[in-house]
Amino acid sequence: MSDFSRREFLKRSAAAGVASGVALTGFGRNAVASDVAQVGTMIDLTRCDGCKGLDTPACVTACREENKDRFPDPVKDIPDNWPQKKKEDWSGKKDLTNRLTPYNWTFVQNVNVEHGGKRYDLSVPRRCMHCDNPPCANVCPLSANHKMPEGPVVIDSDICLGGAKCRSVCPWGIPARQAGVGLYMKIIPGIAGGGVMYKCDLCYSRVKSGQMPACVEACPRNAIVFGEKEKMRALAYKRAAETNGYIYGDKENGGTSTFYVSPVPFEKIHAELMKQKAAQSHPKTPGFPGMPVDVENFTDTANGIAWSMAIAPVAGIAAAAGAAYKTMKGEKKDD
Amino acid sequence: MTEKIVKNKEKIKRHGLSVLFVHCAVAISTFVLILTGLFGQFPMAGRYMINRLPGLSWLSDFSVTLSVHYWAAAVLILAITYHIVFHGIRRDFDMLPRKGDMKGSVKLIMATFGYGKEPENDKYLPEQRLAYVFIGFSLLILVFTGAVKVLDNLPDINFSRVFMFWISLLHNAGTIMVIIGIVIHLSAFIFKENWPLLPGIFTGKIDLEYAKRRHSIWYNREFVRKS
Repeated sequence: MSDFSRREFLKRSAAAGVASGVALTGFGRNAVASDVAQVGTMIDLTRCDGCKGLDTPACVTACREENKDRFPDPVKDIPDNWPQKKKEDWSGKKDLTNRLTPYNWTFVQNVNVEHGGKRYDLSVPRRCMHCDNPPCANVCPLSANHKMPEGPVVIDSDICLGGAKCRSVCPWGIPARQAGVGLYMKIIPGIAGGGVMYKCDLCYSRVKSGQMPACVEACPRNAIVFGEKEKMRALAYKRAAETNGYIYGDKENGGTSTFYVSPVPFEKIHAELMKQKAAQSHPKTPGFPGMPVDVENFTDTANGIAWSMAIAPVAGIAAAAGAAYKTMKGEKKDD
Repeated sequence: MTEKIVKNKEKIKRHGLSVLFVHCAVAISTFVLILTGLFGQFPMAGRYMINRLPGLSWLSDFSVTLSVHYWAAAVLILAITYHIVFHGIRRDFDMLPRKGDMKGSVKLIMATFGYGKEPENDKYLPEQRLAYVFIGFSLLILVFTGAVKVLDNLPDINFSRVFMFWISLLHNAGTIMVIIGIVIHLSAFIFKENWPLLPGIFTGKIDLEYAKRRHSIWYNREFVRKS
């Protein structure tokens, strides 16, 4: 399956070279609907074993190696986020690989779950899902976070002020904040801003140059498959049908570019993850996401209200025309 | 045009229901937009612990502030559209700046501090006309950039990164401009001389003697010459 996907990816890269070139250089266009084929991943939990025997899963090691030059390098004396007496500083925990941090953009969760009278040991690689309509990007007041035409959701660390709103609206709380670094340190550090948010960008620079994400390339069991998003979706459903399994990521948050396939329902995986989180010494610390099934998109409610803004000018015109007519006819003394 | 003196009450009608409605709708919706924008869209309520003040915990709930922001934007759009169409049809452009308004504003301000004599004024003071254009322009920036942001939030619509960067920057700049405009607008009431205009915002009527003295051009044109 993985050989197929890798061949498929390379084939697509070569055949669609020109098209990709146009797509990848079209950042300045105000495209409403992108004509670029989006990329995605299929993560097969029947194949992933969390790299048993290795201290750190290969995908995690590869991600850290690939992105080490982009990890934050904060100032020595990081100011508190006034008026609060706290800040988010992970610079002393760079070696942590069992959760998402500004220095660790992917990690593997391990769960033991019962299903159908059988127990399953599952390893679940976690990182940004690269949603179809990412609330993290939509609500960023500076537009520092953006969904690229190819699908990856990318944070611009030069613009981000680290308000962490993106993390609050992400159903998985993926982006991780590091204080003492970024634009806010050049403006009014401590008074406004809180750092920079970091997360997986699906190795956007590698994807642009026709390569696979580092985690995909490093996976020894071909559990993470990369390719055209629609093909990954189809592959996930095919694999789920073959294994009588379940899919996660297709419906969640309005749809994502990451499709998990599991032999057990994700409700059970989520419940187990929440148990693990609750047992941690600091359960509220971000960076250990659950897998809530059918979780809704943060902007759904607001998007439902958007129609009112389309009706408002029509109502305003009609009401004003009526009122102006009446006052001009002298039926109503008004100015 | 249709202004009238309210008999036996020594008042004069300065604004009709349409103007009162638009001013009220714009003021309230803009206040709500600033509140939910600064403290909700910019995550400042939690950071500065404003959400801990009584009755303001909702300001750190992004789902609430975004929805309220949208509803308030709809009210603002309705009021602005109403305003433009109503006055456009009636060709009622009293609020638009005129040649010499800048100079007139300086003279008026100087007169407030006791330097020189205040010039004769029309229905609106020159500084009111300038403030109107500044605030109006800022609100239009916010409406247009806000509309783009609303579209970008919809599924299947994804504007380019560079475009959205500039839209967000303009939206934020427009917010600062509106706040500055409102502060200047309200600071006019620091001066006692402007206090008689306050009832007009709520009732549409102002003191007759005040109108004769301070808005003599308007009073003479609309009431003396027509009578």
